[in-house]
Amino acid sequence: MSGTPTPPSAPWPSAHIDAVARLRAIAAARPHLAYRERTVAAPFELVWSIFGDLEHAVPEFDRYVRWIRITARDGERLALESGGPVPGLRMRFEAIHRPGFCVMRAFAAEVGMAASPIGPAATRIAHFEGSRFLGPVGRWLFLRTIGGELETVARLCEARSEATARDAAATGAG
Amino acid sequence: MHEPEQEQVREAQRGDILAMSRLLDELSPFVARLCGGIALEHGDDAAQEALVQILRDLPTLREPGALRGWARRIAVREAIRHAQRGRRHGGVDAQAIDESDSRAVIPVHAADPAVALDVRSVLERLSPEQRAILVLRDLEGLSEDEAAAQLGVATGTVKSRLARAREAFRKRWTE
Repeated sequence: MSGTPTPPSAPWPSAHIDAVARLRAIAAARPHLAYRERTVAAPFELVWSIFGDLEHAVPEFDRYVRWIRITARDGERLALESGGPVPGLRMRFEAIHRPGFCVMRAFAAEVGMAASPIGPAATRIAHFEGSRFLGPVGRWLFLRTIGGELETVARLCEARSEATARDAAATGAG
Repeated sequence: MHEPEQEQVREAQRGDILAMSRLLDELSPFVARLCGGIALEHGDDAAQEALVQILRDLPTLREPGALRGWARRIAVREAIRHAQRGRRHGGVDAQAIDESDSRAVIPVHAADPAVALDVRSVLERLSPEQRAILVLRDLEGLSEDEAAAQLGVATGTVKSRLARAREAFRKRWTE
């Protein structure tokens, strides 16, 4: 071979940066954010249909959120309102929401969720919560709750995955 | 970088997580390419660490227009560091070959998995520093002066390392 090198169409190896890796990077740059991950024994599409369903599923796994309503949507940009245990107290969020990734910020709160497939039957999920006004104390408080939230998400996803598999087996046997 | 992108960098510097997310959308493919090409099997870890450092150190970037070059330096540094650490823990040890012919090329056959595998197996036998030079010059299209600035070495050093890296690649490819 001789002549001038001709980038960039060479099949060079590329690293893989998935949604969970991106959420990790954001959490690492914001020290007041409480951050946790875990693996769920369910396929990615099923997991994100629950974990990423802001209006229906988030109130099921986050006990401090009673309701969420999407008030505006422009592609992956969302405006949201949420209500918690204190009656009449609402928070307004702006969010980016796409398959496997969601970050939301309100005046006093930041929330992030991400999911990445591990093969066809498992998913890595990640979650952060925090408030820039509460600092390290807030981080300590949120760390006490977000682990349990991910456990609940995993339980919901794995139960639905098992139910789906049972239905498929029954249909196949029928 | 034009004004809307500079404003996005400033918002991310102020800690806006939505702006950080959009910044990652722009930077991730480029960081993945650099880290994968230099650190190979350690590329995922190098890319993760690079993104953490980029976002964490973003407030120190004085000129938003310099984001890409600044992020590239971080990614290359992390990729070389991870590759060197991998070698110390039993990775492939490459031999630098001192050859005079600097006109060798990198094969650029696209969309052929067999060729991709061959390219990777040859890259594994180069040193991380040789891969970094090839990535910056032949993949990213930087000039020798720009590559030297990225790596913190003299331009003459880039010229000689590039010649050796290209010849090492050519020699391995034709074995």
